[in-house]
Amino acid sequence: MSHDYKAVQWTPFKKRFDLWLLAGIALYLVIFVALSLMLGNDTASLHPIQVVIRALGTLAFLFLTFILCIGPLARLTDRFKPFLYNRRHLGVTTFLIALLHAALVVMWYHGFSETNPLVSLLISNPRYDSLAGFPFESLGLIALIIMFLMAATSHDFWNANLGPGVWKALHMGVYISYALLIAHIALGAIQFEKHPLYVVLLCAGSVTVIGLHIFTGLAALRPAQSSPLEGWLKVAPVDEMEDARAKIVRPTDGEAIAVFRDGNKVSAVSNVCRHQGGPLGEGKIIDGCITCPWHGFQYRMEDGRSPPPFTEKIATYMTKLVDGVIYVSPKPALPGTKLEPTLIPLESGPNQGKINA
Amino acid sequence: MKRAHRKAHLFIWLILGPVMVATLLFAVLHRPAEPVNQELPEILLLEAR
Repeated sequence: MSHDYKAVQWTPFKKRFDLWLLAGIALYLVIFVALSLMLGNDTASLHPIQVVIRALGTLAFLFLTFILCIGPLARLTDRFKPFLYNRRHLGVTTFLIALLHAALVVMWYHGFSETNPLVSLLISNPRYDSLAGFPFESLGLIALIIMFLMAATSHDFWNANLGPGVWKALHMGVYISYALLIAHIALGAIQFEKHPLYVVLLCAGSVTVIGLHIFTGLAALRPAQSSPLEGWLKVAPVDEMEDARAKIVRPTDGEAIAVFRDGNKVSAVSNVCRHQGGPLGEGKIIDGCITCPWHGFQYRMEDGRSPPPFTEKIATYMTKLVDGVIYVSPKPALPGTKLEPTLIPLESGPNQGKINA
Repeated sequence: MKRAHRKAHLFIWLILGPVMVATLLFAVLHRPAEPVNQELPEILLLEAR
């Protein structure tokens, strides 16, 4: 846990997750191929390799759709937070599945001509001026190249060397990749695939991703609710603050603030993790430290510093309790500044507030 | 996540979303009963038929 490069730690949870992932992929491929060969009228004449190409293509689409849903869903419910820790593994796996799909397509449909298969893929359909007959293969190829760039830089080595800002910007390319993938399928497979299930899957998946991102994006920009105390932002009544969890407050200006409760103590820190800008307020307190839900970076509640030997620090904010309601100051203290936590009386009631400043 | 990143995310989706939906609508509404793109490799056309 540091901003510097560290070797990936393979926790037992990550190992179990990857085993389940591999088992799930194998099961999907077996079921898809078996059902296609048994039930599909038009697929009965297909070579098994063509069925495998379809299976890999649909699986890559489903995986990428799910990956893009994890972030917004984790903001709506805690159940999806474990997937946040393993999103990189899912992403790299999706790239490998897409790569296999592309390799089989190139070899099967373009590997028998005298032209280089990759060149054949790009020049076999020159109708770039027509939307209906657009060479959808090139869209898939560009999406694959973007996914390669992301998979290759998924390691913390690149995050540490490129810097969190550049790394994050690079990895937002996944959205472009997804849009290209949608166009690749819509202008390609959908045009000559008769089964309506493909259309339903494509529309449902993409509309879900778009809807979730726009909904949670708008919700995240909503400013904090009005406060009766001038210069302070209302957080929540003490009773509504879950132990070891946070409420996120968004000032009109500046970054969001994560207000954590740990037993009878309340402290506030910046919501932005120093590692990759992860939403600390969506994490929880583990071993007495605020733990980022993305990659497990930790900070002490009282001063926003990572426990030794790590050196990261984030801004802290003053909090206070008035009439059973927690308030936070929108003015950040310098990163790493120690502020006494607000203490919650055992039986909080009206006028039992304690200012920490 | 920084406020600027959140805004960038939302901005991207507000642009990409309609583009993706428009592409989908176009593709589904113009879906031919039989494949019309004669530039496709013959093996793809055979598969589709």
